[in-house]
Amino acid sequence: MTDAPLVLCADDDEDILSLVSLRLRRAGFEVATAADGEQAVQIARDRRPVLAVLDVMMPKRTGYEVLAELRGDEALRGMKVILLSARVQEGDVARGMDAGADAYLAKPFKAQDLVSKVEELLSQAEF
Amino acid sequence: MPAVAARVRSAPATWAFLASGALAIGIYFLLPAHGNAQSVFYVVIGFASVAAIYVGSIRNLPRGERLPWQLFAVGLLGQVAGDAIFAVYEISLNREPPSPSIADAFYLGGYPLLALGVLLILRKLGGQTSRAAILDTLVLFSGVALVQWVFFIDPYNHMHFGTEFSRLVAMAYPAMDVLLLVAFAQLLVGPGGRTRAYRLLLVSIALWVVADEIYGLNVNTYQGGSWIDALWLGSYVVWAAAALEPSMARLAVPDRRRLPRLTRTRLVLLAAASLTAPATLLIERAAHHRVHAFVIAFGGAALGAVVLARLAGLVHAVERAGLAERLARREAEQAQQLLTFQNAQLVEIDRLKDEFVSSISHELRTPLTSIAGYVELLQEEEESPEKLGHLAIVGRNSERLLALVTDLLFAARLQYGRLELERSPVDLRSLVEQCVDSARPRAQAASVQLDVEVEDVPEIAGEPAKLAQLLDNLVSNAIKFTPRDGHVSVRLTAHPDLIRIEVSDTGIGIPDQERERLFERFFRAQSALEREIQGTGLGLYISKAIVDAHDGRIGVNSTPGEGTTFIVELPVTA
Repeated sequence: MTDAPLVLCADDDEDILSLVSLRLRRAGFEVATAADGEQAVQIARDRRPVLAVLDVMMPKRTGYEVLAELRGDEALRGMKVILLSARVQEGDVARGMDAGADAYLAKPFKAQDLVSKVEELLSQAEF
Repeated sequence: MPAVAARVRSAPATWAFLASGALAIGIYFLLPAHGNAQSVFYVVIGFASVAAIYVGSIRNLPRGERLPWQLFAVGLLGQVAGDAIFAVYEISLNREPPSPSIADAFYLGGYPLLALGVLLILRKLGGQTSRAAILDTLVLFSGVALVQWVFFIDPYNHMHFGTEFSRLVAMAYPAMDVLLLVAFAQLLVGPGGRTRAYRLLLVSIALWVVADEIYGLNVNTYQGGSWIDALWLGSYVVWAAAALEPSMARLAVPDRRRLPRLTRTRLVLLAAASLTAPATLLIERAAHHRVHAFVIAFGGAALGAVVLARLAGLVHAVERAGLAERLARREAEQAQQLLTFQNAQLVEIDRLKDEFVSSISHELRTPLTSIAGYVELLQEEEESPEKLGHLAIVGRNSERLLALVTDLLFAARLQYGRLELERSPVDLRSLVEQCVDSARPRAQAASVQLDVEVEDVPEIAGEPAKLAQLLDNLVSNAIKFTPRDGHVSVRLTAHPDLIRIEVSDTGIGIPDQERERLFERFFRAQSALEREIQGTGLGLYISKAIVDAHDGRIGVNSTPGEGTTFIVELPVTA
């Protein structure tokens, strides 16, 4: 075990999943990846990451459903969640924030924007 | 007075005839009573009236519509003929004709013709054959017949006559008056135009009937030259005046009341007719008259039956109206349901459309995310300037592709309706400054000088992201269309009730003929195509939609070869 904070990345698009993981690893985080919503919930429960970057459109369980599951779990309180989506209509963003996301990032995103957002959220969180 | 004068001019024949008729009647009474001259004068007035009716019918009515008035003329001619026979007896034999005489045949023969004339006018008006109209006529007939019988016909049964035939002839007069009375009442409540001729005709019939009835009450004391003659003579003259009055042509033209409605006059008349039985009973009782029990009972029963039938008709009409109303209501409810269903379908279609646009957006953006992301990664790691240059090209093009996808989806959503804004307070000054700052690298790359001139402006309620998109579109366009070493300047100024944004360039300009189409979807200026300036033809279309959604205006001033200025005016709402 390293001291680096654990971040969960979930996306059904392999290329994007590797890109996000790579960016976060380079920024000094430990990364756990999930290819669908169910896996994401499983990993979140098992490994209790400090932050999760969730794609909205995932098979089995959507990002919204995963978010709702996590928010309903007392043990996972304090975990930060960023929704990542190519759906950028006004309604999509509002729905994500209403569901309890801490941030909503539109695809495509700049690497720097993602990393800054993660660091900003974690600096607010208690360790 | 001028109004009266105008009316007199409009129908001089009528007034002239009435005036001379009144004069003639006056002279009649100045002549020695029971003299020959009086008898001759009586016949002359009558004959002149008959002639006037005939002339009036020809003058005022087209061929084919003259029959009712010609029946009046013939009917009254019968009366005049009777008068003439009387006159001949009085002048040549110095006595009245025997009773009955050939004069009675002429007199009595005239009545049905007069009533038939009125009937023809009423028939022409229409609505007279409806059940209600017929029942109303029956009510009137029963009432009038009852009164006539009790007070005017039956008394002859108790008088002394030479023969039974002469008694019957005497009784025939009040019986004939029943016809005229019913015709009069029908004319009174009928749907005919209320013209001057109509009133004159009513007056003439009324005068005739009243004269007959008074004569009937004084049959034993009547003598030629009595004041009752004035009524008969008046009837002749007024009847003729009605025929000469041009408005008689409209007598048979219905006004708005096509069907017999229960007007107040009609109701009063029907009530009066219905009350004749009890009224007759009471009058006979009060006058210690012999009570016509059978006649009154029979008349009352007949009236009751007809009134009941009329009432049943009304009830049925109300029921039919109620049924029609229920049907109409049911139809309205069905239409409402259909509408609700269609609305639900529209909402569903709207949802599917949003879902579709959203999905396409997702599908196109996902691969672009990978391309842009990995290019960014490679750019950070690559050291060869040549390869970095190539990567920059890939990066730029993926950005262009993304912008294109965004614009296309924006335009696709616009097609379904007006842009909906998520309004919040907007500080346009800082928005303009940010936009210009982010455009500076592009301006530098194109060697275009970018100036900005802003002043403090009031906040407006708008959507910051959309307004930023608008500014970015206008500034990007200006840079794109300005040759090297040109200028682009952005000005923001406050005016009463509005804020003006001007984006000017020293570019190639827009010809007049293209200016109107500039804001159309996918429109591209000829000069842009010739110079291969890239674009989709969506930027200004989207810009206009954004301005429209903010209730503003967008316009353009341009001189080809010198430059273009886009002007946006946004209202300041208090």
